[in-house]
Amino acid sequence: MSDNVKKRDILVIPGLGGMVLSGARPLLAILLAFTVSAIMIIAQGANPFEAYWAMLRGSFGSVAALANTCVRAAPLLLGGLGVAFGFKAGLLNVGVEGQIYVGGSAAAAVGLMPLPVPPWLHLILAIFAGFLGGAAWGLIPAYLKAYRGISEIVVTLMLNYVAIQFTSLLVHEPSPLAEQGAFFPQSPPILPSAQLPILIKGTSLHIGIIIGVVAALILYLLLQYTPFGMRTRMTGQNPEAARYAGINVRRQIVIVLLVSAGMGGLAGMGEVLGLKLRLYDYFSGGLGYDSIAVALIANSNIIGVVLSAFFFGALRAGAGKMETAVGIKTPIVQVIQALAVLFVIMIGFAEYTRAARKEKQQKQLEEVSVDGP
Amino acid sequence: MDHTSEVSALKMVGITKRFPGVLANDQINFEVKAGEVHGLLGENGAGKTTLMKILYGLHQPDEGEIHLNGEKVKILSPRAAADLGIGMVHQHFMLVENLTALENVVLGLPAAHPPLLDLEPARLRFKELTREYDLRLDPSTPVWQLPVGDQQWLEILKLLFRDARLVILDEPTAVLAPKQAKQLFQTVRRLAAEGRAIVFISHKLEEMKEVAERVTVLRDGHVVGTVDPKVAKPSELAQMMVGRDVFLSRRERKTYPEKRDLLVIEGLSCLNDRKLPALNNLNLTVKSGEIVGVAGVDGNGQRELAECISGLRQFTSGSILINGIPVDGVVKDNSLLGYVPEDRHKTGLVLNFTVEENLFLKTFAKFPYTKRGFIQWREIRKKAEAIIREFEIRTPGSSVTTYHLSGGNQQKVVVARELSSDPALMLTSQPTRGLDLGAVESVHKMLLSVRNRGGAVLFISTELPEVMALSDRIIVMFKGQIMGDLVAEDADVNRIGELMLGHQEAMKTIP
Amino acid sequence: MDLNSINEFLAAAIRMSAPLMIVGAGALFTERTGVFNIGLEGTMLVGCMAAVYFSLQTGNLWLATLGAMFVGGLFGLVHAFLTITRRADQIVAGAAINLFALGITNLLNGPLYAGYEYRPRVTLYPVIAPEALQNLPILGPILFAQPVIVYFAFIIPILATWILYRTTWGLAIRAVGDHPHAVATAGLSVYALKYIGVITSGVFAGLGGAALTLADLGLFAPGMTNGRGFAVLAAFVVGKWNPILVAAACILFGSADALQLRAQTIQLAIPYQVFVMLPYLLTIAALAGLVGRTVGPKTVGKPYDPESI
Repeated sequence: MSDNVKKRDILVIPGLGGMVLSGARPLLAILLAFTVSAIMIIAQGANPFEAYWAMLRGSFGSVAALANTCVRAAPLLLGGLGVAFGFKAGLLNVGVEGQIYVGGSAAAAVGLMPLPVPPWLHLILAIFAGFLGGAAWGLIPAYLKAYRGISEIVVTLMLNYVAIQFTSLLVHEPSPLAEQGAFFPQSPPILPSAQLPILIKGTSLHIGIIIGVVAALILYLLLQYTPFGMRTRMTGQNPEAARYAGINVRRQIVIVLLVSAGMGGLAGMGEVLGLKLRLYDYFSGGLGYDSIAVALIANSNIIGVVLSAFFFGALRAGAGKMETAVGIKTPIVQVIQALAVLFVIMIGFAEYTRAARKEKQQKQLEEVSVDGP
Repeated sequence: MDHTSEVSALKMVGITKRFPGVLANDQINFEVKAGEVHGLLGENGAGKTTLMKILYGLHQPDEGEIHLNGEKVKILSPRAAADLGIGMVHQHFMLVENLTALENVVLGLPAAHPPLLDLEPARLRFKELTREYDLRLDPSTPVWQLPVGDQQWLEILKLLFRDARLVILDEPTAVLAPKQAKQLFQTVRRLAAEGRAIVFISHKLEEMKEVAERVTVLRDGHVVGTVDPKVAKPSELAQMMVGRDVFLSRRERKTYPEKRDLLVIEGLSCLNDRKLPALNNLNLTVKSGEIVGVAGVDGNGQRELAECISGLRQFTSGSILINGIPVDGVVKDNSLLGYVPEDRHKTGLVLNFTVEENLFLKTFAKFPYTKRGFIQWREIRKKAEAIIREFEIRTPGSSVTTYHLSGGNQQKVVVARELSSDPALMLTSQPTRGLDLGAVESVHKMLLSVRNRGGAVLFISTELPEVMALSDRIIVMFKGQIMGDLVAEDADVNRIGELMLGHQEAMKTIP
Repeated sequence: MDLNSINEFLAAAIRMSAPLMIVGAGALFTERTGVFNIGLEGTMLVGCMAAVYFSLQTGNLWLATLGAMFVGGLFGLVHAFLTITRRADQIVAGAAINLFALGITNLLNGPLYAGYEYRPRVTLYPVIAPEALQNLPILGPILFAQPVIVYFAFIIPILATWILYRTTWGLAIRAVGDHPHAVATAGLSVYALKYIGVITSGVFAGLGGAALTLADLGLFAPGMTNGRGFAVLAAFVVGKWNPILVAAACILFGSADALQLRAQTIQLAIPYQVFVMLPYLLTIAALAGLVGRTVGPKTVGKPYDPESI
């Protein structure tokens, strides 16, 4: 027995093993996804290398391309952060789609109001409204989860459809946010003082991406370097141990879910105040669901979410170029993305089950050795 | 269906089962005759469960043979076991709550006209059997509406439906009231009288006397012996069960002039997870400078006691004072209470956290580990490394995931964390379960250090030798109450063993 | 609303409920075996496309229907593999399947109609009731002027209920989601039962997709399921996992859908969005216990581990 113990201690490479694996897993999954998609591209009579090359140029080949990548990455980053942050506390927020709508609507409401404040303050208020709108949408699932023990998954999912219709109501007359006599259901343009500033003239690159990166940094610091983050991670990893350590698990769940939903709201805010510049029906079109994919591929690692959001942003930005170059339709991007997630699940859970088996063996061993040899 | 008593209904010969590093069953010979109720007695982990899992096809033995009615068999799955006429009532019932009693009975049975589910013939037989065995069970009641006692009957009815010839009952009385238990014994004897072979697993001595013809005692994976419970003295059986060599020498005991009450429990009652009474008006005082060992067979309220003291479980009545401060909700003051919970994986540790994170699981937010709202990892690491050295935790570093440590070192992390804040009361629940000798030794040393500086230790363990070696005072728990309170010097294995089995007389013999 | 538009509405309500009821009947099997399948949304969408594809290829309505069921079954198999064999998180696996389904149908939307100048409408399910019955007042349009798939939509839940409650197979399915270990000790294969359950849900999601496209549209449009798969899962909450109540909830949801379409064309006092929201709000209320307690099969969402007795 003591031999066993020794061996186990020596075999461990501190930290390193886990790091290599967590980095390699998504990369391998993405590689596999590209390979399978290549087969589809060939089946449609195009050269996959040409296709991928065109995609690369479309996403990184010029300043405009790069700007486009960032614009598309911004909502995925903010939404992905929301999902990942919730996941750290063991919460699966599949309601980012709905939070995008409500956050976007709230931001639009403030952005349309001619407030008697300086322009910078108007902007900040509108951004903040986006966050609050999303967070408000998280209130119901947070309460139900923390105090009634009802799974947040179905509730957040159902609220997505309510949110979409809620926004739809807002842009249809007689809503005060709807544009009078417009051909499409839409709001009037966001007031210039509440529009997100453009970073590079001539492109649509707004500061949403910077908000996303800053948010990632804040969340990362919060999780790694503050007592709040420690409590969050403990709640996610082992709620029973968290309770034992004196943590108010319910309160933690509520706060984390509200922040997670607030991030979704910020994603919607960026779309409305930065890109669309009006509130539209169905303006998100599934960004919230893609955010789940972004977080999944990053294994909910905050820094990983930044990378995977940029990756998906690049895919989207490059898809147009690929379509014009080799005639492969842009939805191939969605296929690549979904395949990458599927492969991450397959690879990741293979490891997980192996680890679980090992743990069980150890536990079994301890159970039978109560009497001790 | 006639059985001659010459051929054993079941004969297990030389059964050996190894798990990595541990011998769970070592050359076990076990034999049950048709028409016999054979008791299987032993502590937790003595190897009873492993042996029965082998018999039920859930484990394969490494060595040995199984003979049923004189024929050698291989039992590869529960299905094979069922086909061979082996039936088992598991400790955790194998009943589907959303189905009716009748549906549970016919689940998995071949149908007359598959795939049609014709319940009528089964219903008739169900009623027939319930009448014959005097069971009050309604076939159409969903199982979730049945009281636990009736669920037990339903499990037995399942065996009757399949006409099991070899019946294994795993601690069947654990969920029964005394009156129900009486009825169960009657039924069990009747089943045996019908020529079935019965294996009856229990901790409880008086049950064995009442129901079993022979009792085989297991300890440490061996058969200690097979005796007639009506002839054997209780003390004899108790010693067979727990009386191995005390492998830990008794500690030298210091006496402290100043005796303060560090833990005062008065009239404590609480419910267990199944909402049944777990503690019943319990009183206990632990003074400074003493280690009080809590002995008892698993499941007699020890876990609930620990959870109540730590504030993790709400109690229904009574009060708990730690160093004069009442417990109301989870105790957060680490200088008041250190608590090593029973299950380090589920409660004591976050396995995916690093060693340093786990060492500061309760104190990370305090100065100087958090300053101006930020956790000072450097500070924590420095302190963690000191703790690791002091408590001799074997880990490649303080930033290694705790998951990778051996069980003993994981436990040392828990104990070290709880000790490092110098608590007035140290509460430990099975702190050495699953540890190797070296780790056991160091955990003991850590607990002794608490007493030696004037703290109090409440030491809950099902390991009697350990309790006896470490404690200054020993209390024995049985059915949520304190059966006996002994000074360690006066305690001997036999007397404690009997108290553990609920024999109050053992207490009266104290001079 | 005048009588005529009430008739029209009722007929549409029944027609729009049909796909939900079919998917719901199939989902009974996956839910009962303890596997949550939010991938039904995507599976249904793929079924829509498969129905049109096979119809265009074979020109045969029934082969198209079978094709949709087959493809649905394949998607069910993937979900089964991920969640049962791989023990992946059921929500995550289902979400991945939805993303894949959305992507692949969007991608193939062009090639599906390659070679056609305009999008042809494929053969629809026939209306089989005699003319005389169809012209009956009120009952005619509601019951008889319906494509034949609508009758299937009513028969399938009844059939599913019969299988669940009147066959040994159904007994095992009902047991396995609650207490898989009990089923294993009774000598049945938990894995086989779960696989069958999940694949069945896929097959019927595929059929539901066919019912959506081949009942009155005859076309595939990207994202055309628009949350109907999720609505079915919502119907389980509202219908408390009881097959008949689930079917009733599907009709309720289908009617809300029909109502909102009507509300878009004729001016009602209540905006149509409210009707779209209603089923989802009702579901949350049901979850929160506002309309009676809802208890699903016990082990839904949890992977089965044969060793953890």
